[in-house]
Amino acid sequence: MTTSTSPTPHAKTAVGNPRPSPQWWLTLAGAVLLVASAFLSWCYVPALLGDLSIDAYPGGLQLLMVIVGVIAIFFLVLRSGRMPSMDTLLDSARALKALSATAAGFMVLVALVIALQAPGLANANPGLFVGIVGAALMMAGSWQMASDPLVDPITVRLPSWVEILVIVVMMAIVLFGAAYALGQEDGTVFCLFLAFLGGVVAALARGGLFSWISVIAARHRQVLMMGALAVAFLFPFTQNGSDANMSIATQVLIFATTALGLNIVVGLAGLLDLGYIAFLGAGAYVSAMMSHSAFAHIGWKPPFIVVVVIGAIVSSILGLIIGSPTLRVSGDYLAIVTLAFGEIFRLTVNNLDGNNGPRLTNGPNGIPGIPDLEIGSFNFGDTHTVLGIPLGRFANYYFLMLVVAAFIIMVFTRLNNSRIGRGWVAIREDEKAAEAMGVNTFGLKLFAFAGGAFLAGMAGTIKAHQDVSVTPDQYIFLESAFLLAAIVLGGMGSVAGVLVGATVLKLLPEKLRFVADYRLLIFGLLLVVMMRFRPEGLVPSQRRALEFHADDEELADRIEEVHLEIAAEPDSAEAKA
Amino acid sequence: MDLFFQQLLNGLTLGSLYALIAVGYTVVYGIVQIINFAHGEVFMIGAFGALATWTVLFQGQTSLWVLPLMIVGAVAASVVVAVLMERIAYRPLRHAPRLAPLITAIGISVFLQEAVRLFYPGAKSALPFPRIDIVTGPALQLGEITVRRSAIFTIGSLIVCAALLWIFINRTKLGRGMLAVSQDKDTARLMGINVDRIIAVAFGLGAALAGVAGVAQGLQNNNIDFFMGFLAGLKAFTAAVLGGIGNVMGAVLGGLVLGVVEAMAVQFIPGTFGGSPWKDVWAFALLIIVLVFRPQGLLGARVVDRA
Repeated sequence: MTTSTSPTPHAKTAVGNPRPSPQWWLTLAGAVLLVASAFLSWCYVPALLGDLSIDAYPGGLQLLMVIVGVIAIFFLVLRSGRMPSMDTLLDSARALKALSATAAGFMVLVALVIALQAPGLANANPGLFVGIVGAALMMAGSWQMASDPLVDPITVRLPSWVEILVIVVMMAIVLFGAAYALGQEDGTVFCLFLAFLGGVVAALARGGLFSWISVIAARHRQVLMMGALAVAFLFPFTQNGSDANMSIATQVLIFATTALGLNIVVGLAGLLDLGYIAFLGAGAYVSAMMSHSAFAHIGWKPPFIVVVVIGAIVSSILGLIIGSPTLRVSGDYLAIVTLAFGEIFRLTVNNLDGNNGPRLTNGPNGIPGIPDLEIGSFNFGDTHTVLGIPLGRFANYYFLMLVVAAFIIMVFTRLNNSRIGRGWVAIREDEKAAEAMGVNTFGLKLFAFAGGAFLAGMAGTIKAHQDVSVTPDQYIFLESAFLLAAIVLGGMGSVAGVLVGATVLKLLPEKLRFVADYRLLIFGLLLVVMMRFRPEGLVPSQRRALEFHADDEELADRIEEVHLEIAAEPDSAEAKA
Repeated sequence: MDLFFQQLLNGLTLGSLYALIAVGYTVVYGIVQIINFAHGEVFMIGAFGALATWTVLFQGQTSLWVLPLMIVGAVAASVVVAVLMERIAYRPLRHAPRLAPLITAIGISVFLQEAVRLFYPGAKSALPFPRIDIVTGPALQLGEITVRRSAIFTIGSLIVCAALLWIFINRTKLGRGMLAVSQDKDTARLMGINVDRIIAVAFGLGAALAGVAGVAQGLQNNNIDFFMGFLAGLKAFTAAVLGGIGNVMGAVLGGLVLGVVEAMAVQFIPGTFGGSPWKDVWAFALLIIVLVFRPQGLLGARVVDRA
């Protein structure tokens, strides 16, 4: 790939300011003050918000404001016209407005926390007020800044090493952000971190960074995938053997993996499956019944790899059975059929205790005491030390799940870009038209069900060992609804979206204990609000977004353009082949 | 044979309950072609509305005259919730892809359950439903058959409600407006019918019947809980499909058939797969079988061709 300049390269430099305006200086002063405030003490009380009381050594939350300040200064430098190629890509005025609003909101929140918990604003130190003034100056300065016309990122091409570097930096930020967020024990600090994160992400999105990144990510798909995998792989090494966070991370990963499987059915083929958790359950029950648990009533104990295959196959047979009505029913009816099927599964495993039907699942008590996995001489229950860093039980399962997740992502993307995937999209958008075009709709729908079930069954076999026990109440309808919510929240049909959605939905209740009781309430509300205001999800696949905004001509043109551009690219075409 | 009639009666009681709820699914589906998946929760809200009315106004009262007021409370609560739900969540999605309202419905469903669990005092576990003279109390004996008083109330309310519903739909202006809208929304609008209002009325109508069902369920089971709407809603949906969704009298028939099938399955399926642990399995299996082999239902409605 060679460096090429954009077709309209210098549209902006003529418009841009050669000499910074007073507003520019004002905003700069605000950003500098904000950064400076982080080096002062904010509060007398060391116990509050992870100790903000030390001068000259920014700690915890103060670092976040340094980050905001530095990003703001970066955008200000852009605005002064020193980096024309970047300047045409990013809308610094909108980004600065959002950044200063974030800073101001954050400082006010910190002040409120100090006022309420210290208690009293009398405990605030000058640093806090310096920060508030800085944020206010930033707001005042950026308020009147005019947006400059932007160039569509698709037409801009920076040297490819720059683009790859951007992706790598993004990945590193994700890794450290995740490690930092998980490290926060204090609910208030975690909330403030989330507020900061939301504000900065919104600011960068308004600045157009993400539309640019999505273009370069599409150009360097392989780099992105490898980077993401590397980040996920490195994560356990940041935890110093602490099992608390790894347990959460493993749960998130299992949840995300299952959601990815469901995303094939819902996101790609557009078949709403409300009983998907049953497939996970089928895998888990197969695995439990063939394990060495004292409550497993099947005499045959094959090696784990065989169990994985059997679990996946049993699950996909169930998928075929439940998928077969798709020949006759569609849409809402199908959703209800799958829901009924999920209930039948739950009731059946609840009943098969020997009194009602054969003794297989031990009824409501489930199958407890499933031993840890042992593959070869590697026992998943033991702590292993790699490069001096201890990796505990959950880290072991985490790595195993990571392999499964990578496999599912690979299957997902390959299918998505294949004839089958295009068939699914055609069915999703208009089944009758697809059929008329010669798409084998019934076969493909059945395949979506069986394939999704296969992947879930696979994940289930591992989940049983990770959880130590399987019980019917792990596989209730609400879990299916949760999976669906992850997909809806993140973005249907997009891998990144589902990962984001699953992480948010699993991580928040774990970290915010006070939210835990209200989590279902919030989650119900979330589904309604998302459908109302952003049905395509937080990180949508663009095709999917178009279906929800059918009359958005601009979006349609853009998707076509991206599609053509990426199709024309030799190396990414290779990646798809 | 007595056993058969006993189960028939039990089935009809259960079926009346399903039928009352099923009407809500079918009326809404007939008019806006969405499955209001949260309708089971409307039924649950009705039961809690009745309980709240009793707790606030008539704590300790057991006389019969309290019952109509409790029904009014139940109907008011469920109608308000259903109409608000339509206005806030469903109306903006009227032209959205098919998946959107269904996901919204799941969201509303979870939200309402949780709202009741968290904010209704003591609702984290099941709450006792008040005893009312005459409609609850010792069961009557008809030969060998035991007839619970609440069963008479349930079946009676279905008969009264179905009759009122028939009159409403066929004899009032609003009801005919509903028929017109269900046939062709755009033409109905051209004829001067306020379609938005008709849709709200459809939601309200279904909710009113669900409210009555909530009271009946409370009297039958002696207690109510926040999760009661899920299974009942699912069964009632099965009933609506069984009768032919969109067809009001079909919903009533479907409810009765489903109730009887369930009761008979408990009694007459031999071996370890019979009995009450499996009755829900048979009900859902019936749903799947009906959807696969006769998606237009027993009485038939417009054939579903929606993707």
